[in-house]
Amino acid sequence: MGRIIVANRHGDQVLEWDPAATDTEEARAQIAAAEQILREARERGCAVSKKVDGRHVIDNSPFDPRAEEYQIIAPIAGG
Amino acid sequence: MLARLRSAGLRLGSAFWSFFGFPADQTDERWNEGIERPWMVSWHAVPKRSAGTGFSPSDYARARERGERVAQLTLGDEVWNQLRRRGYVEVPSRLFEGLTYRLRIGRRVQLIWDTPAHALRSPWPFEWLCVNPTYPLPAAEFTAQLYLYLRDREEDVVRIAAPQPFDQALGRCF
Repeated sequence: MGRIIVANRHGDQVLEWDPAATDTEEARAQIAAAEQILREARERGCAVSKKVDGRHVIDNSPFDPRAEEYQIIAPIAGG
Repeated sequence: MLARLRSAGLRLGSAFWSFFGFPADQTDERWNEGIERPWMVSWHAVPKRSAGTGFSPSDYARARERGERVAQLTLGDEVWNQLRRRGYVEVPSRLFEGLTYRLRIGRRVQLIWDTPAHALRSPWPFEWLCVNPTYPLPAAEFTAQLYLYLRDREEDVVRIAAPQPFDQALGRCF
C-alpha cells in the first residue's frame, strides 16, 4: 500500500491506496484522491517529502502512485 | 453516522456552488473524508501554543504521541534516537561555511559557528532563528519537518526565518 501522512494538529492522519489495484473504479478513486490532496497542499505552499531508500527527502516531482510513502510538510513562517 | 452527514453536507454544498456557476470538485471525496487539511484554514485567530478550540487534554496527549511517531518515521531511527538522547539534532549548513543548525523540540533554531571568524560572516544579527509552521503541529513533528527543510531546502529557511536574540518556545507548536 502507498500512503500519504498528513501532518496536522491531530499528529497525523493517513490516506492510503493500493498501487497494484488500478483495475477497479474504487482503486482509481483512491489514487485520484491521493493525487488531489498532494496537489492541493503544494498549491497552498506546503512541501512534500517522499520516502526514498528508507528516508524522507523533500520532493518536487509529480505524484507517483508507486511511491511507498509521502508526507505533507507544513509551510513555514518567521517570527 | 457523522461521516454520512458530512458526506451529505459536502454533496449539498457542491450542488449549491454549482448552481451559482462555481465548478464542483470532481474527485471522489470518499477517500479523504475525515482528513483535516490545515492548509485550507486560516489559523491567525488561534492562540499561541494551542491546537484551537475543541481540543481536550487527551486530544493533546494523543496528538503529541502520534507526532512523535511521525517524527521518528520522518527522521529515521538513528537521527530520532540522537534527538531523544542528546536533546538536539544538528544539520550542517550547505550555504554558509562553518555553520551548523541545532534543533531542539519546540524551540528556536540555534546557530552554531565553528569559529568566531565564521560567526563574523553570519547573515543574521542574532544567534537564534524563529521558524514556525503556519498551522498548529505537535512540537516533535515540526522539529522533524524543520530538519528536512534545513537539510533539503535551506534556502527557504534562510529567506523566511526571523533572527532573534534569545531562545523561546515556538508559537505554533504545542
